[in-house]
Amino acid sequence: MSYVIEARGLVRRYPADGSPIRAVDGVDLVVEAGEAVSVMGPSGCGKSTLLHLLGGLERPDEGELRLGGVRVDGLSETRWAVFRRRNVGFVFQAFHLVDELTAVENVELPALLVGMGRREARHRALELLERLGVAERAGHLPDHLSGGERQRVAVARALVNEPLIVLADEPTGNLDSRATGEILRLFGELHKAGQAVLVVTHDARVASTADRLFTMRDGAIVGQTRLGADTPVAGLFADLADLGSER
Amino acid sequence: MRWSAMGAGARLAARNLRHRPGQALLLLVTLTIATGVLGVAMSLYGSADAAWDRVWRATGGFDVGVGVYHGPDQPGDRALVAELRRRAVQLARAPGVAEVSGPSNSLSGSIRIRGGTEDLSAEVVDPNTADTPLVTSGRWLGDGGGIVLESGLAAAVGASPGDTVTIQGRPFPVRGVAMTAAGRYPLYRPAQIWVTPQTAAAMRDLGMREDGFALAIRLVDPNQAEAFIATHQEFEVSDPSSSVTSFLETAQQRRAASHSDLDGMTDTLFAAGILIAILTVATASVLVAGRMAARIRQVGTLKAVGVTPRQVALVLLVEHLAIAVVATTIGLGIGRLLAPAIAGTSVSLLGRPEPPPLTWSRIGAVAAVAFAVVLLGTVRPALRGIRQSTLRSLDAGPRPPRRPGRLAGLAARAGVPVPGVLGLRSAWRRPGRLLTNATGLALGVAVIVVALGLRESLDLLQLRPTEPGQATADAAVAALYDQIRGIIFATGGLLLLLAAINAWIVATLAARDAARNQAVMRAVGATPRQTVTSLVVSQLVACAIAVVAGIPLGLGLWSVIDGGDLPPVRVPATSLVLLAAAVPIAFAALVSVPARLLARRPIAPLLTYE
Repeated sequence: MSYVIEARGLVRRYPADGSPIRAVDGVDLVVEAGEAVSVMGPSGCGKSTLLHLLGGLERPDEGELRLGGVRVDGLSETRWAVFRRRNVGFVFQAFHLVDELTAVENVELPALLVGMGRREARHRALELLERLGVAERAGHLPDHLSGGERQRVAVARALVNEPLIVLADEPTGNLDSRATGEILRLFGELHKAGQAVLVVTHDARVASTADRLFTMRDGAIVGQTRLGADTPVAGLFADLADLGSER
Repeated sequence: MRWSAMGAGARLAARNLRHRPGQALLLLVTLTIATGVLGVAMSLYGSADAAWDRVWRATGGFDVGVGVYHGPDQPGDRALVAELRRRAVQLARAPGVAEVSGPSNSLSGSIRIRGGTEDLSAEVVDPNTADTPLVTSGRWLGDGGGIVLESGLAAAVGASPGDTVTIQGRPFPVRGVAMTAAGRYPLYRPAQIWVTPQTAAAMRDLGMREDGFALAIRLVDPNQAEAFIATHQEFEVSDPSSSVTSFLETAQQRRAASHSDLDGMTDTLFAAGILIAILTVATASVLVAGRMAARIRQVGTLKAVGVTPRQVALVLLVEHLAIAVVATTIGLGIGRLLAPAIAGTSVSLLGRPEPPPLTWSRIGAVAAVAFAVVLLGTVRPALRGIRQSTLRSLDAGPRPPRRPGRLAGLAARAGVPVPGVLGLRSAWRRPGRLLTNATGLALGVAVIVVALGLRESLDLLQLRPTEPGQATADAAVAALYDQIRGIIFATGGLLLLLAAINAWIVATLAARDAARNQAVMRAVGATPRQTVTSLVVSQLVACAIAVVAGIPLGLGLWSVIDGGDLPPVRVPATSLVLLAAAVPIAFAALVSVPARLLARRPIAPLLTYE
């Protein structure tokens, strides 16, 4: 079996007044090629930290991490960056577009970083923006785009180098219901196209688009559900409510 | 405003200073550079006066000096000189005159010095007169001839009592060395000696000719010297067809003329101090603007709970005025400490330099500059920050750009690597800071160009062959300009230091502004080195503007100075190229430090930074 993500015993501690807080506490997690995975949990359960660990934005204190079969937890900052630009695409709740670059420049940035020619990078970026329905906004700065448009640009940026995995952190957290619907449709399409996606969210509608759902509490994965067309989404909400009340 | 509110404002200001000592220290350092230079200028101004006054008193100095000089080989002027001598005798009998010395005649000749000859004026005096210069070694003229050398000349010739000097090709024994309030060789020219009538006769036989006479008048009321001169203006002749020059001068005028080299240094220091103060306005402005950006949320919170904009402005003003007071005190202290050492390099001093007393007007002048810097630097950014709506203040963050930069677009099309293009994109994000940075650096570069020109010119001066009768003229000019060159180099260095502080502050603030963007770039695969490059390039734009503007500005300033006593010289192109290369390299090294510090920080927390 080929895994795009294979995490074993990941631990991330933060210093605190007393003993350190274990934000991620011994997480084991695998994601297969083409699989869509959701991680749900209440605020502060460590799901964003887990996503940061998986993408190399933070370093684990313990544990092993392999992406596409490559051991990455010990990589230097520079090697991680080079690995990330080819193999990981990020989508953030706050979009995190470079605000001095236009939409198309934001999308082509990772392509240019991997050494793609300018023309090819621009062509690829425009193609993706076209596919995501924001081609007419290509020359605009992020400040002039709506929330939904910004997130679509962010998704295009995440996809430009055809990464092993797209890591999305609350991708609909800052969007209105219409834009949320558009992004959900987009993630559905990505999934159908065989793109491996890991989404952390507390929105059950987003979580329900995945093949598997992990639930987190106090830094640990406490449950795993394989989702199908007949899985009741309401049940997911109930699980979350239970987790919240236990905290 | 009520006392309770003022007290609260002062307490808050003190707390803010304690909580942000780095920023306060930076402002203090930059402000102290300005007040320190002005303090030195202030202490230097008049530091030769006390020594001059002592010599003037010891030699029974004149209240009004009368002088007549003419070319020794111009017999056609004899009638006019005789007429002036008659008028001088009348002057000596004028109302208000208490005592008169002279007229004493002088002879013109030459003295051998350093393998060349130097024009010489021998004042013929009665060996038994009570009005003598201040003898500092040996003895005054007596029976048996010989000469007394003016102290500056004795130092230049390297002669002491008992030695001989060669005048008109013949050796004359040196009886003594003396100081005079007239001035000190080589700044005061021609070289001065005193001789008896007997020695003068021997000198006439050697070809020396009379070239004028002098009269020293002491008044019943010394304060009337200027009025006396105004009453007797007919004595002063200005006939361009004649070689005769006659003049009346007060002791104060002579004192001021006796140390023109120190005046040159003082003027240069004042100019430097003002230039540095102007730059400090920029530094203070950037610091306060940056501080407002960092505190804007806090200001918003204060406003939300009912603190008025005026009270917020008051707190900021109190903080910075406190820094201005400390900078004034340190600056004046530095002035008192350094001025004697700087004045000691003067060739015109008649003794040990003494800084004049620290009067309230002198303290006030330095304090006024410091306060003006603080007010000009603080008020605008503070008001801009305070005037923002409370809601916007609470939602603070770097302002997003309004349109994509064209320069970056061109650079991208020209194949500039991605980090460079990104750097160019963010360069214009804070145009005010960019221009402040560029202005400071440009002034520093311009002053260094002037100093380079002076160095070349002085080197040339030392190689220039001396003219007859001017053996040490170039040396005197070199000595004077060497001091000024030192000050200009130091000023250039201080300006560059200030520019470096400015650049550091701006780069640190830029790093703070760029933190989120840099983290995003790293998240999508940019390496730490690429993000550092991007930030450094964004700052290098200011440096490029500074070099492009500063070098022509410096060359322009040099062309103005170049017209004086110095040999005309072009600043070598190699020096300019080196300067144009060295400044950006040093600048890049400096601004890369905050960029590297930022690149070392973990990405995830930066992504949430606002």
